[in-house]
Amino acid sequence: MNRLLIAVRNIVRDRTRVLSTVLIIAVGLMALLIGIGFMLSTYDALQEIAMRSEGHVIVLAEESEPARGGAHQQLVLANWQDMRDQVLDDERVLRVLPRARFEGLISHGMNSAAFFGTGVDPREEFRVHGPFLRTTNELDPWLAENEMPDLMLGSQLADTLKAEKGDVLTLKVQDREGEEKSIDVRLAGLYQTGIAEIDDHTLMVNLSTVASLMGSENISQLSIYLLQNKNSAEFKSLLQSKFNGVIVQTWDQRAELFDKVTAQYDRIFAVMGIIILVVVFLAISNTIALSIYQRRNEIATLAALGTRPMAIHANFILEACLIGVFATGLGMLFAYLAANAINLSHVMMPAPPGRTEGYQIFIYVSWPHYLLTSLLLIVTVMLASFLASYNNARVNIADALA
Amino acid sequence: MSTRLVLDGITKHYVAGKNAVTAVQDVSFSLAEGEFLAIQGPSGSGKSSLLNICGLIDAPSQGQYYLNGNEVGRLNTAQRCEYRRRDIGFIFQHHQLLPAMTVYENVAYPLYLNKVAPKKIKLEVTQLLEKIGLSHRCHHLPSQLSGGERQRVGIVRALIKRPQLVIADEPSANLDHKHAHSSLMLMRELNEQHGASFIIASHDVFVIEHCDSTVNMLDGCRVPSS
Repeated sequence: MNRLLIAVRNIVRDRTRVLSTVLIIAVGLMALLIGIGFMLSTYDALQEIAMRSEGHVIVLAEESEPARGGAHQQLVLANWQDMRDQVLDDERVLRVLPRARFEGLISHGMNSAAFFGTGVDPREEFRVHGPFLRTTNELDPWLAENEMPDLMLGSQLADTLKAEKGDVLTLKVQDREGEEKSIDVRLAGLYQTGIAEIDDHTLMVNLSTVASLMGSENISQLSIYLLQNKNSAEFKSLLQSKFNGVIVQTWDQRAELFDKVTAQYDRIFAVMGIIILVVVFLAISNTIALSIYQRRNEIATLAALGTRPMAIHANFILEACLIGVFATGLGMLFAYLAANAINLSHVMMPAPPGRTEGYQIFIYVSWPHYLLTSLLLIVTVMLASFLASYNNARVNIADALA
Repeated sequence: MSTRLVLDGITKHYVAGKNAVTAVQDVSFSLAEGEFLAIQGPSGSGKSSLLNICGLIDAPSQGQYYLNGNEVGRLNTAQRCEYRRRDIGFIFQHHQLLPAMTVYENVAYPLYLNKVAPKKIKLEVTQLLEKIGLSHRCHHLPSQLSGGERQRVGIVRALIKRPQLVIADEPSANLDHKHAHSSLMLMRELNEQHGASFIIASHDVFVIEHCDSTVNMLDGCRVPSS
């Protein structure tokens, strides 16, 4: 007695209703998987932005403000060159970038604006940001240490200052002793991150420019780029034990935006997931309840022949399970095809709040997520069918057979 | 012959809205092992209610029901289910074959429920289907059979587990005379081979004539034969 085959025959008997249920589940699953694929690609992009901007592991001086996301303008990390050389010896390390934060006023003719500046190692700095920082410069080296130092400006700050490549601008700062200092710099190029807050207020100069301006060789942080992100936590512990007087953080400890967005997306997709589960639950409950109603006569026959009620429920659960497996298989196929179609069609999303440009939507196909979500739907289907059959399959045999 | 079944003062009340309806009133009779008993009477006379009680589909409101010497009238739902699976076969008016099962699976189902070994199931089902000339139909679904064929499959399904009691509700009602006759002969033949006792509710004079005894029902009560 092949119960699976009998269940298949029962499903096929009711093919119109089953087909609509299958489509509801499949489309619901597709929507969920497309959403999850979008969420995963967004998480990856945000993670990449965070890691590329700050490094996988960040070393700060103990005197630095340890608050997450805080601007570390104090130049308090001394003797960093030795530290950098030691870190670079580790084969897991790709790059170690010193960064010196400073702030002040920048002027171009009659136009002035406050800025947040960073002194960087230009040979390496512009290599690590990848697609998340675009520059107008085409040739290395940037930020040459000429008689007049070079400057890179955020694109919107350049607009504010009405400055163009080759223009001379003046930086005014207070050095460590509180004395006002100024220096003329040549605009070597512009950069754009797509984040209005950054492009509107930031600039970059050579590390040596900051040293001469601020009167200190100290920096704010060392950003360490590893070959593999998975080594971040382990590497953090290693550095913490190796160097005294420093704070070592991993990128995720400083990625406030990443945390906020992932928390927001998690909530959105949890709500979406619950809605789809409820729809699936109702669809399968309806299908099974109607199926039971139409097959009251068969249920009564089964009961008259001595079939236990639980065995009758099990038949309906098996049928629902088969519907669920077929529907989720179809849903995964729909999702896979839709994800690829979206990725290939280069659909652009509008600029999110706080950003100046849109981005191409990309949907990940994550098989573990596909399987896990499908499994969750199948469990929902089985639960719905159990409740539907439990509530409806207790027929009065005499009445049903009359 | 020993007594298979005894009904003693069986009464069945139903509640229909605010009214209590008495479907069966103080009915008593007994049935011997291998006996063919007909219950006859007009529609609404209580035949089906009595049949449901005899088949342990329903429980009596009053009275005692003994099957093989055991009082079965007060059993709970699960116990009645157990008895039906093991000891009682049903032949329904509308055959009630399970539409998603093939002829073979329909006939095998009672043995499957009783956890008979698959090899034995195959042997018994094949033999019985050959006996009724339907072995070539064993992989067909009920919808692919004629009315007469369906009823024959229904009869062998009721008898394959060798029940002690077979309940048949109007087994010839939807059949022409030829098929009704062959179905009755099949029941008789299997009855002689397996020794099951039969209770048959029927209007059909031909069926009643072939039974060993008759219980006449009118308005829920047993009445003498006219």
